Amino acid sequence: MSLSFVMRGLLTLCNLPLVTALIVVLIHSTAAAVDFEKEVRPLLSNHCFECHGPDNATRQADLRLDIRQSAMTVITPGKIKQSELVHRINSDDPDLMMPPPDARSSLTTEQKQLLTQWIKAGADFQQHWSFQPVKQEITKPHRSDKWSRNPIDYYIYNRLRSEGLHPSAPADKATLLRRISFDLTGLPPKLDDAKRILAEDSSVSIEKYIDQLLESSAYGEHMALYWLEASRYADTDGYQNDRTRHHHVWRDWVIMAFNKNMPYDQFITDQLAGDQKPNATLKSQIATAFCRNHRINSEDGSIPAEWHVENVADRVDTFGTVFLGLTVSCSRCHDHKFDPISQKDYYKLFAYFNNNAEWGIGPNNGNSPPFIEIPKSWPNISEDLDKPVTPEPLKLSNARKEAGNGLQRPQPGSATTLMVMHDLETPRKTYLLSRGQYNLLDQSEQLYPTVPSALDFNAELQPRTRYELAQWLTHPEHPLTARVAVNRFWQQIFGLGIVESSENFGSQGSLPSHPDLLDYLATRFIQSKWDTKALLKQILLSATYQQSSKVSPELILRDPNNILLARGPRNRLSGFALRDQALVASGLYTEEIGGPSVRPYMPPRIWRSISNNSYKQDTGTKLYRRSLYTYWRRTIPPPTMMNFNAAGREVCIVRTEPTNTPLQALTLLNNKIFIESARNLAQQAFQYGGESDEERIKYAFQTVLTRLPTQHEMQILTESLALFQQRYAEHPEQASVLVSIGESDANEEMDKQQLAALTMVASTIFNLDEAITKR
Amino acid sequence: MTKLSDLQKTRNLQHRRYFLNRMSTSLGGLGLATLLSGDANAHRINQQSIGGLKSLPHHRPKAKRIIYLFQSGGPAQMDLYDYKPQLLERFGEEVPKSVYPDDRKTTMSNAQASFPVAPSIFKFSQHGEGGNWLPETLPRLAEVADDLCIINSFHTDAINHDPAATLMQSGAQIPGRPSIGSWLGYGLGNMNANLPAFVAMSSRGTGRPGGQPLYDRLWGSGFLPSRFQGVKFRNQGDPVLDINNPGGVDDVTRRAMLDSLKRLNELQLSTTGNPDIETRIAQYELAYRMQMSIPKILDMSDEPKHILDMYGPDALKTGTYAYNCLIARRLAESGVRFIQLFHQGWDHHGGLPGAMRGQCKDTDAPSAALIKDLKQRGLFDDTIIVWGGEFGRTIYSQGNLTKEKYGRDHHPSVMSIWLAGGGIRGGITHGQSDDYSVNVAENGVHVHDLHATLMHLMGINHEQFTYRYQGRDFRLTDVHGTVVQDILN
Repeated sequence: MSLSFVMRGLLTLCNLPLVTALIVVLIHSTAAAVDFEKEVRPLLSNHCFECHGPDNATRQADLRLDIRQSAMTVITPGKIKQSELVHRINSDDPDLMMPPPDARSSLTTEQKQLLTQWIKAGADFQQHWSFQPVKQEITKPHRSDKWSRNPIDYYIYNRLRSEGLHPSAPADKATLLRRISFDLTGLPPKLDDAKRILAEDSSVSIEKYIDQLLESSAYGEHMALYWLEASRYADTDGYQNDRTRHHHVWRDWVIMAFNKNMPYDQFITDQLAGDQKPNATLKSQIATAFCRNHRINSEDGSIPAEWHVENVADRVDTFGTVFLGLTVSCSRCHDHKFDPISQKDYYKLFAYFNNNAEWGIGPNNGNSPPFIEIPKSWPNISEDLDKPVTPEPLKLSNARKEAGNGLQRPQPGSATTLMVMHDLETPRKTYLLSRGQYNLLDQSEQLYPTVPSALDFNAELQPRTRYELAQWLTHPEHPLTARVAVNRFWQQIFGLGIVESSENFGSQGSLPSHPDLLDYLATRFIQSKWDTKALLKQILLSATYQQSSKVSPELILRDPNNILLARGPRNRLSGFALRDQALVASGLYTEEIGGPSVRPYMPPRIWRSISNNSYKQDTGTKLYRRSLYTYWRRTIPPPTMMNFNAAGREVCIVRTEPTNTPLQALTLLNNKIFIESARNLAQQAFQYGGESDEERIKYAFQTVLTRLPTQHEMQILTESLALFQQRYAEHPEQASVLVSIGESDANEEMDKQQLAALTMVASTIFNLDEAITKR
Repeated sequence: MTKLSDLQKTRNLQHRRYFLNRMSTSLGGLGLATLLSGDANAHRINQQSIGGLKSLPHHRPKAKRIIYLFQSGGPAQMDLYDYKPQLLERFGEEVPKSVYPDDRKTTMSNAQASFPVAPSIFKFSQHGEGGNWLPETLPRLAEVADDLCIINSFHTDAINHDPAATLMQSGAQIPGRPSIGSWLGYGLGNMNANLPAFVAMSSRGTGRPGGQPLYDRLWGSGFLPSRFQGVKFRNQGDPVLDINNPGGVDDVTRRAMLDSLKRLNELQLSTTGNPDIETRIAQYELAYRMQMSIPKILDMSDEPKHILDMYGPDALKTGTYAYNCLIARRLAESGVRFIQLFHQGWDHHGGLPGAMRGQCKDTDAPSAALIKDLKQRGLFDDTIIVWGGEFGRTIYSQGNLTKEKYGRDHHPSVMSIWLAGGGIRGGITHGQSDDYSVNVAENGVHVHDLHATLMHLMGINHEQFTYRYQGRDFRLTDVHGTVVQDILN
């Protein structure tokens, strides 16, 4: 392929303006002065960086517009006539004009004016915002502000004020309880709790409720879910035959870490380098399984060296996305086009993770070395046992050499082991890989573990090991770690991060909607010794969070995605939360923490129909465990969860979309677990709701939605129940079929037709928009 | 409380923009207008595009839909389409290292003591006016030889099933990119509001029953919104997950339940004003219409006997290739944009002759019937049919070579595929492999070139069809791909 062809291909890659950036700019367009960060940099990034940016290979004329010093060779601040850039963008000479005539993009008149105006005003040029130190100052409440409850609100209020908008009224208490409960535990409020708090007066009860939930074990399970998705945790290896691995011990470590409120810096450190830290324990060693969550190829015929590179690259990419919020993976094959991460930088990061005592190919049945034996007493680890252990060395064998098979495989680890990080005594040599190919090593220069120079915020820190890398990452001066973390927590609650592109804080990512709030939260997070529970509590106690999510047509048009937060959050629940809600409301829910993953209902022959494995469904209480514990087969993930946009767990994903599709409706209407839950909820209503139809409907309604139905709603539901009663009286055989769905027994004492009719009402309640939504 | 009628007006007048921006909701990218118009006419509609991007098509398309017959496992090109008569004389000779260096062999066979030439056991003959060479195992396909454009110079980059299939489907070996069907649904929308734009189906080959597995990723939407992912028609249980009402809930009960659900949701809408509720209401109605329309697609009672006979004895047997071909025709007829069959069982490391006969028996008549059937319905000229696997196989025998028995290992650098239908020149063989079917000798066609060509036929310039993700504009063809003009009409 000719070089010009490659160039042409590359040119097509990046030109559309970022929608989010646009929204931010539009909302901000009241300001007259040109803002470099909001207006100029995105423009340069979109139109110029391709050839005049960080990528050394495609750079033209040795000019970089992403770096001030180089940019100033074509810009003279305040002087338009002396600025070559101004001449070039306004030229119509094909040899001079910029972008050149064959580029896919061109500048509009407004964009040219903007650049000119910017240069005229002095060409203020800053480092990309997310690489700048986190600002420490706290904003003050506006004198008109009678609304704010804590500093978070100051930022929201001031912005709303400048936009001519007002906050919404507080949400009613029942709505708030349900919102808080889903945000902290992923479950609906318990009916008893709800009734008690609704009867109480004062906001103190809300704060107490938040504390109660933060102390519940469901909190850790809920928080773990997000981390599991980001960490690509799964129960299988992910390629081809997709064999089982045994990794749930790490999942349970995550749950415990959240429940104990482990400081986030330690949370990171243990997972990156729990084997290397000075006072390492067995538990911190277990944490390093985070670095082994990547897929592992066991396919016959594979080349170990090739897949070793894939494993390490996956660690680097995950590290980049989840901790730095940067798309470092772009630099695997070439210098980053937009962010200051060169291809060499990539392989220097690679060097931190390249030294694990592993083999590129898996054993094809069980854990891949290095692995350690987990004590039987897990999760109870006595002090004696809580010491790191040395994994057994790699043992390679050649399975079918006589048949001409040259592939060597490592020994498998049993179900009582866990894959961990354990560095080789003699480090592997790291070289830059041309085009990211495992066999194209650039041996002219050996590369050593080093962090990208653009992130060199403190010259004294020169991390050389994974442990030192973790220390660097959690250093209070690090510009990204805390910002990226608090942004993800914010996204978890509000549906949208302060930086919408939570996976990308780089030049092509979205700009923060409230930069000062982001920095305030980051600063506070660090100063609180990385206290996650305190951070969440502060957010949940804010007036911002506690607003009603009701919205006027005007506000919907003005701010459809609720970026400005003139109303409370409203998001569709995850597939996990929806199933768990049904289980809790119906009383089927099995409250048990941790342990091997379970196998609830799946469609018939879910695995066998396209693979060589058979799904063996569990029975009894295991069918009703929290969805977090559902066995996750990477190549055939649980379809119900995927229907609701769960992350696929193949690679690191920190943001999923909240779509609303007819397939979701089909799941909630027809899926076995939702029907069985509806029937069990109906049974509960018969048992505890009262004697009349009306009381029973109210019971079922409040169990799911926390609030009581309005008169109008009652009328519809009562009519509907009467209709179902009539249908099932006419078709008693259908009633028997409906109430016998699922493994749980129908209550024999109950009238089947009555139960079937109320089951349909319960199913209606589970399908209400309000039930599907956190609002 | 706002009255609902007022709200309706507000919706119609003001919410339109919000919806158009935000309707990330429908199945296969259906437009809002269609969704809300309540067009329940699911079957055999006039095929106009619904949804899709305004900027597409870039040019006048030659085809409206694609039926992709994916042959999973890696069919051996020299036993099917790449006729190598001169190799019969070289039976058992060592494949020269100059042609096939050791470092390009997989670790499954690289430790063999020898790499003997294994010529195909099958007899080949020429068919049709174009004279395409076909083996004795494909007699029905031979009848439509003049519709086939065989490419014997196809090549890929990956040597293992998983990355190779992922590359073939998404243009990249590493997961996370959208599959081709998702791209097309995203770009072009669908032609039926009540069916998905991308349907995937699978069948087990009789040639090697415990063959290579498939993965949901192959019809996944990658970084595109998940509504563009392929909907897998299951060959067990409900054809679409949860499409059927649970036992004890008949249509009357379901409708009654949906009616009260709708009333309750409308009450919420009127008190909270959030248009997402309105979307939810629309999705439940669409789900109901899908419940009505999908069983109709699968109800073959209206197929005459001579059509069923053409597809062969398995035509009514769920989960077979023949059944899936027939469903594919019915879906094409109903306006589905991209239909993909995955037929497993082509991974013939050993015992190739027997396994190959089984696979050919599975696929020969149904593939040919599909072409004939589309033709007689006037759909052939705007439907592209693609037949191909994820890689080719080695000319050397994996394991012992005898006159009756041999096996072949994975081989990426040359393989065979064929195309037929809209915009494709039939009755030709394009490109050549070298004497040993190891490398491309002439007119190589890479995976990216196939993608570029399919897009071109569907009216899309593959270099201009991008989606922004993580700050970068991605394409199906990454930075590669050339339209193969020589195979176009």
